[in-house]
Amino acid sequence: MLAVEYFEVECREAKGAEYYKQITNDVLLDHNLLKVIDRLHIFIDPEVPVFVACGTLKKITSLIRVRDFANVNPQEGKMTLVISEEAYLAPMLKIFWERFGKEHVEQPDRFTVILYDVKEDPKVIEEIVVADPSENLFKDLIYAFKCIAPEGFRLRKEKFGNGRFSFVASENTLAEDIDTLVAQKFALMGVTP
Amino acid sequence: MTLVPVTYKGGIFQHDIVTDLIEDLGGYVVQKHVLAQEVVLQCFVPKDDIDLIREISRPLFGEVTDSPLVGTEIAIVSPSLEIHHLPHPSCDIAEYTRRLGAKSNMVGMARGVGKRIAAINDEERDVINEHDIAVFGLGNFEHCIEYKMPNLRRGIEVPIILCGGPDKEALQKIVDPPVDGYVGNVGRFMHRTKESEELAKLDEIIAEITRVLEKRREEIAKDPLSVAPARLMNLIREKVPEIEEVTSPTPLTVQMKGLRVKLPYDTFAPVLRKVGIEDGITIGDVAEVLPSRMRDYIIIRVKPFSETNVVV
Repeated sequence: MLAVEYFEVECREAKGAEYYKQITNDVLLDHNLLKVIDRLHIFIDPEVPVFVACGTLKKITSLIRVRDFANVNPQEGKMTLVISEEAYLAPMLKIFWERFGKEHVEQPDRFTVILYDVKEDPKVIEEIVVADPSENLFKDLIYAFKCIAPEGFRLRKEKFGNGRFSFVASENTLAEDIDTLVAQKFALMGVTP
Repeated sequence: MTLVPVTYKGGIFQHDIVTDLIEDLGGYVVQKHVLAQEVVLQCFVPKDDIDLIREISRPLFGEVTDSPLVGTEIAIVSPSLEIHHLPHPSCDIAEYTRRLGAKSNMVGMARGVGKRIAAINDEERDVINEHDIAVFGLGNFEHCIEYKMPNLRRGIEVPIILCGGPDKEALQKIVDPPVDGYVGNVGRFMHRTKESEELAKLDEIIAEITRVLEKRREEIAKDPLSVAPARLMNLIREKVPEIEEVTSPTPLTVQMKGLRVKLPYDTFAPVLRKVGIEDGITIGDVAEVLPSRMRDYIIIRVKPFSETNVVV
């Protein structure tokens, strides 16, 4: 696994641990989450049964701005934006409509947006924040871990914040002292509360 | 005359020569696929005449290969139809068996997931029992398979092949009473099987299925069926023209001991029972025409010689 500093799967069945390491790697790779995870420890006990995943995240500072996916070309009385990646087109248009009004925004085709009679400096427009990928990160992580965890583990407890996350799942009611177990697993990675 | 299952692959040009030849020799074409310029025939042919077919199809660049799974319907059973098992590995196994001539159906259980909570319901059980063989694709933990397998196999009468993460030996140790076949090191995984060792694993599953089916064929041969299911298929195609209007890929699915007919039971069961085979013997005389648990299809179960005292 690239870019992840610490990655362990702990399980009393050695073969099961090996498979789950592969599954975790595949799922995180598919969901494009390897680059945000710094450390990850997974603990599975099929006898209880319980699945614990905990880890820390890398700092994500990159907000998506207009300049990241579009070129702004100022012209006489209008401004043409050439879009290179469509992923953020919808949220950008929404922001433009609110800010300049629908009558000043035109989109002749998929890769072009034209702003008419906009007084603002092209530099300012380039700096407009369109999306914050970290907002959806929690949802994405939980979804990924739901895929990784053995199926049928429907009772879950998730925590997220402060650059770390934990995900506990089981088919039975979770033990009351489950947080102690999670803290132990964090300690294994050298992370203390 | 023993019929053996083979696959014929060749160009579409003059392929009717081969089809006619197979029928003249007393064989049956079970499935015919036309893919662009290529024709794939899955058929039963007399064992002694394979060389003749090879000989005649040589100028047409035809290729005859053994495919032991032709004429079988296989259930690929997974604990659910969620992303945990689909598309890999369940679909990979299903697709691989299909390539070798079997008709495979995926059976995802409603509540087959988890360890303590895993269960099978009567509909799933009956649907699985309508197949020739069931391939169970379970998970990666020995402890879990040991715990849930007795629940999942309850009431299943067809041979079971168990695929799971642990080694074959480990699987054999934990399943009691034993099932018919085991394939180790194929548990749950989340990537496509495309590397050579993964493909080798799939081949191992096929080998195991073939071995178990071969055993079953031998058992059937001891008390032969009153009529070959493939023959019934041709008869129904001839005498019940409505079957041509069914849009399913295989409106008539041949099994080892019967046939699935994808027509509504209430309307067509009496019609099928009356279809004559030979000398006044009808399908109703040599086979049971039963409602299938799969949609409102019909399942025909051919009775053995010992029950009917006729072989047609």
